[in-house]
Amino acid sequence: MKDHPKRGKERVSLSRRDFLKAGAAGLGVAALGGLPLPTKVFGQAPAFKKGTSLSILQGSYFIAPSQDLYKRQAQEWGQANGVTMVADFLNWPDLQPKIAASVQAGGYDIVELWGGWNYLYQDNLVEVGDIAEAFGKRNGGWERYVELSMKVGDRFLGVPHGYSNGSMAYRISWFKEAGCPNAEDGNKIDLTWDEYFAIGKKLKAKGKPFGQALGHSTGDPPGYCYPYMWSYGAMEVEKDGKTIAFNKPQFVEGMRKFIEGWKDAYDETGTSWDDSNNNRAYLSEQISSTFNGSSIYFAAKRDKPALAEDTHHILIPKGPAGRFYWLDTRTFAILKNSKNIPAAKAFLKWWFEEKQFGDWWRSQKGYMLQPVKKYYTDPVWFEDPKMAPFREQPKYGLNQGYAGPPNRKAAEAWSKYIVVDTFAKAVQGGDAKQAIEWGADQLKRIYDR
Amino acid sequence: MVNGSRLKSFSMRDFFDRERNLGIILMLPGAILLIAFMAYPFFLGIWLSLTDSVIGRAGHFIGLRNFIDLLTDTIFHQTARNTFIYALVTVPFKAVLGLGLALVLNRHMRFSSPIRAAVMMPWIVPTALSSLGWFMIFDPVFSPISWLFRHMGLISKNINFLGDPILAISSVCWANIWRGVPFFGITILAGLQSVPQELHEAAAIDGASVWHRFRHVTIPSIKGVVLIASLLSIIWTFADFQLIYILTKGGPANQTHIFGTYTYQIGLSATEIGMGAAISLYMFPILAVFAILLLIYLRREQ
Repeated sequence: MKDHPKRGKERVSLSRRDFLKAGAAGLGVAALGGLPLPTKVFGQAPAFKKGTSLSILQGSYFIAPSQDLYKRQAQEWGQANGVTMVADFLNWPDLQPKIAASVQAGGYDIVELWGGWNYLYQDNLVEVGDIAEAFGKRNGGWERYVELSMKVGDRFLGVPHGYSNGSMAYRISWFKEAGCPNAEDGNKIDLTWDEYFAIGKKLKAKGKPFGQALGHSTGDPPGYCYPYMWSYGAMEVEKDGKTIAFNKPQFVEGMRKFIEGWKDAYDETGTSWDDSNNNRAYLSEQISSTFNGSSIYFAAKRDKPALAEDTHHILIPKGPAGRFYWLDTRTFAILKNSKNIPAAKAFLKWWFEEKQFGDWWRSQKGYMLQPVKKYYTDPVWFEDPKMAPFREQPKYGLNQGYAGPPNRKAAEAWSKYIVVDTFAKAVQGGDAKQAIEWGADQLKRIYDR
Repeated sequence: MVNGSRLKSFSMRDFFDRERNLGIILMLPGAILLIAFMAYPFFLGIWLSLTDSVIGRAGHFIGLRNFIDLLTDTIFHQTARNTFIYALVTVPFKAVLGLGLALVLNRHMRFSSPIRAAVMMPWIVPTALSSLGWFMIFDPVFSPISWLFRHMGLISKNINFLGDPILAISSVCWANIWRGVPFFGITILAGLQSVPQELHEAAAIDGASVWHRFRHVTIPSIKGVVLIASLLSIIWTFADFQLIYILTKGGPANQTHIFGTYTYQIGLSATEIGMGAAISLYMFPILAVFAILLLIYLRREQ
């Protein structure tokens, strides 16, 4: 599981009565103590109607306290501004259909968009360049991966708030047994794919293989396959967004190595794994390393401290073309069919201020990668050295559909699992060239249309 | 005065007295429901399939381009092949197993009613729920079947139920058969019970063996029921979605994609709603053939 929480929909809303109570209390305090009225606390008087409401939709959080914090922040702003706030948190697979429905028929004012969705719904989103530019400028500029995919053309259609991604989790003691130097400190390990597979080969021989999902699942399989592809010099498409750059000799060679590595080092049932299989397999000590979000580590810390103690993270291995991560930009965006756009803008502007955003981002303890450079040196990254490898990820991030933009074509290739299926076909059929030719052909179909 | 009141009562009563008018009024609610929930979505689907619509943006009319594009799409070919295997190849298995089940249930035994009810479980339980059960049974790492066989020393590594090309389609077909058998079983049981006992007795007196009675008395009298059950099963399974979506989402490498799941992937995940509509409309002529076969048969029976 790249970062799939298994939690249901939660809804927090502030009833009108609560709001009146809070408002009355605020007025009382203001009258008695001469304190500024709540609106004053948040700067100039808002340019939107009081007594209205704002509905916010996002994916449920893996880090539960962060979700609670977000709810509290929304309530705080709602109380101060006389707006009823509703925040819904959905299971991840339900998020996109719900947003699509909302785009068509209304229902939400602010939605959390994941990678490339700002392109998919570009006709239906409000431009928020002023808020985003100010946020980026205030915080030392954007991280590279955000810069690649934060805008649609030259427009900000959402304000970037980070990305949660995976890296390689591994068992310290078993890596030590396999002779990996510096096994006790993942921050000191810098492996190539060849070296990584070699460790796996030794461990599989001892009944502790690596595990990797190659099935139709949206997180881990592309999170692993896209970086592997890039690290062997291939891409879905060139910068022109048309020329397919998938069938490269270097990639065919890399795929041959992958086929061999899969046999030697991996649990070969991975072709049917989804985002949750590797979590279960790792937590039940069946596998020695896997690509995953920090969710495995967090779950182990909660339920199996000894396993957490023996777990560390390393950066994803590098290939001849370098080291890469698949990182898109997630944004908070306002739907054009919202009936309360001014309030939605005011809320976003407030939420992206240092106090709110900083508290929220830090509460994720490194689960959410930083969107802006300022947080690269944030103390959160130094609280737990096992999370430190995640801090380095943003500089290696490329978007889906790189070197083109993460547009509708890239989304189609991604949702058809073209890259992932190329890997699955390769390990099933054993023919690297044929699998890559199939993938290139499928990509051509998409990009030529 | 007199004329006036006669005219009034005439118009109200006469209106309802006319069978045609009353018929239309009584039909209206049903017709409205059908138009709103069947005809409108169907024609909207046809319209969408002729456009390059994507979610959030209205499309332009492009004629049959979506349909023509699909003809050269190898994933679509694979999807079509899988769907035929999934819906057709499973039918003989369902029919034979269902017949066996019916023959067992047809014997007089204690608790036959609760047993008959229990046998229906796979058919009654929501597919989404039973599929989750199969999801656990087919688990690559924790499958109880793999566990059992490994401990019996029959295999050395876990069975890759949903990850191997042949095993994956076989596994989803098996879950499909499991779900469909009770329907065949109960339908055939109903057929068996309508076979007059005298026929069996007469055949027995004439010296027919158990096999001959089965072959020449039982089979001819349940043939129609089996045929109807098969056609219905094909029509339902052709348009399946849940079972595959929960087990594999069409993976690995599209080896278990069927029309329903591929439609969802293209139409909703990739937001190409026009192309998605075209994929699902390819089902229409095929299903229409089976539906017409079913109707022809039923009419002939009458």
